[in-house]
Amino acid sequence: MKLWNLLIIGAGPAGLNAAIAAAEEGLKVKVIDEFTKVGGRLLGQLHQESKDNWWNGIEVANRLHEQAVHLGVKIECGVSVYDLEQAEFGWKAYTSQGMEKTDKLLLATGATEVPTPIPGWTIPGVMSIGAAQVMGNVHRVKPGNTCVIIGANVLSIAIANELKLCGVNVKEIIIPQANANLSDNGTPEKVMESFMRLTHMAPTILLRQAGKFATFIHPSFAVKFYPKNGIKLFDIPIKIKTAATEILGESKVTGVKTVNVRPNGEIIPNTEKITKADFVCIAGGLAPLSELAALSGCVFKYVRELGGHVPIHSERMETNVENLFVAGNITGVENAKIAMAQGTVAGLTIASEINGNKLQMESLIEKAVAAVRKERDEALIQFQPNIAEARDLIYQEFELEDRNMERPKRSIS
Amino acid sequence: MTAEKTIVCRCEEVTLGTIQDTVQTYCCSSREVKLRTRAGMGYCGGRTCRHVIDRVVAEITKEPIKDEVQLSYRSPIRPATFAVLGGGKHDNES
Amino acid sequence: MTMRVDNHPVLGKQTDRKQVTIYFNGKPYEAYEGDTVASAMLAQGIYALRQHEVSGKERGIYCNIGHCYECRVKLEKRKVVRACITPIYNGMEIGSLTGFDERGE
Repeated sequence: MKLWNLLIIGAGPAGLNAAIAAAEEGLKVKVIDEFTKVGGRLLGQLHQESKDNWWNGIEVANRLHEQAVHLGVKIECGVSVYDLEQAEFGWKAYTSQGMEKTDKLLLATGATEVPTPIPGWTIPGVMSIGAAQVMGNVHRVKPGNTCVIIGANVLSIAIANELKLCGVNVKEIIIPQANANLSDNGTPEKVMESFMRLTHMAPTILLRQAGKFATFIHPSFAVKFYPKNGIKLFDIPIKIKTAATEILGESKVTGVKTVNVRPNGEIIPNTEKITKADFVCIAGGLAPLSELAALSGCVFKYVRELGGHVPIHSERMETNVENLFVAGNITGVENAKIAMAQGTVAGLTIASEINGNKLQMESLIEKAVAAVRKERDEALIQFQPNIAEARDLIYQEFELEDRNMERPKRSIS
Repeated sequence: MTAEKTIVCRCEEVTLGTIQDTVQTYCCSSREVKLRTRAGMGYCGGRTCRHVIDRVVAEITKEPIKDEVQLSYRSPIRPATFAVLGGGKHDNES
Repeated sequence: MTMRVDNHPVLGKQTDRKQVTIYFNGKPYEAYEGDTVASAMLAQGIYALRQHEVSGKERGIYCNIGHCYECRVKLEKRKVVRACITPIYNGMEIGSLTGFDERGE
């Protein structure tokens, strides 16, 4: 069996760019992915970045795919990994297609969607917002003609517009009923607060319409003036004072029961209404998908700003486990451009270890690390505030772990 | 009551009400919730509901979510047949 | 009315896809090469793919990328696969998992 220099799990923006960077340095690289196509979450992405410039994730994915193949990277789709094991030479990965052996292992498994449970959310026709995005943009199938989106955030607004481009009538974006604080997005005030953090969208469009406010206002004040019938973005009403209480239907969704709510989430009596829809999307945000890191003995830290539990890692994408690296959304939820830049860092770091030329590679790696920081600074949308600070915290933890602890080795059984 | 009608763990059909009652009665961790209610123990391995369980527990116990992953992952992290576990190949999965 | 998005204002036209037939619970449905089981069934207006083992309630796709396992279906005689990440082929036979007795192996 072939021994790879680098096995990458996840053919998304981070995994592909890591493969490219490592293969350019001469490494034998293989990438595996569970999905039927190469590109990961890139595939669904489609948004306008400027007047005549679209971010077309499929095009980006195709370009990276071609580049990787051209460099001799082996890519396999439809392969699931179910276990990892440390070995003398590096790692063994057990997959649905047999075992793979590799010197170095990179986990680029991305993120998973966090649900917002609502009565009726198991009815067929209720799906995560990402599911609808993939159905429309990747498979080119509309999940229905009319839709209600529950969860008002950057991702849901962007995807609402994508569904509209597919010909779906998105009737409204509303919020889930505040319930045991299942999410931060259950009260209009909290939603407003997150909107106001969006550097490009919120201040210009939302606030301009909500009244001619000065720059420094408190969300609780802004939300008071937010119109009950919502503000339209891409011609889709965003109603942050309307909450879903139940999804209706038996063997197929028929609609959503809603109520009007006060800024703190309290229900206003006698405001119950039903909005009919063919399908319903739940948009609860993203969290790093770190199960393989957990299996391989990584130390974790819970960092809200990064979307949940992330394996502790260095800015060069090393983990506290030998020969194991991470890149992309598994290290914290951010945009695809940042994931790509992180992939390059990981690819170069790994190549320098394999080739034993860390000194010569130093300036290249430094440049790649700087590129990640630059992408982060220039990001149009910050999923959470204070990401850069949260990242520095993780890097410090890595240094501490590295210095204080004997690296835990997983038993070879 | 909404919590009784809100399924959190789709695989095992465990409701928010059951999880809340369990945390309140035993003042317990996500891990204990899983063992007592089967929430997060189903076919998907808790991939879908784990974040919700962590949040409900944190909210009720007023303790911040711990750094250590409470709802631990065990291999295999995807359901696999004995043929695959034995080193054989299969087209996709089980 | 077709649910296929063959003309997309930004992604463009989709043409020349080979049509095939797949069978769901014994009934034939048209599908296109490149479809997953999930996309082919949704394009035909089929939302419910299985029933919950215990409650018997119907379930369909949820995450569409292989994480949630809600869309698992029976493939041919004895395999259980996730509809959302399983490519279709001509003559493919898919069936709903319906209850405790037919639970995945």
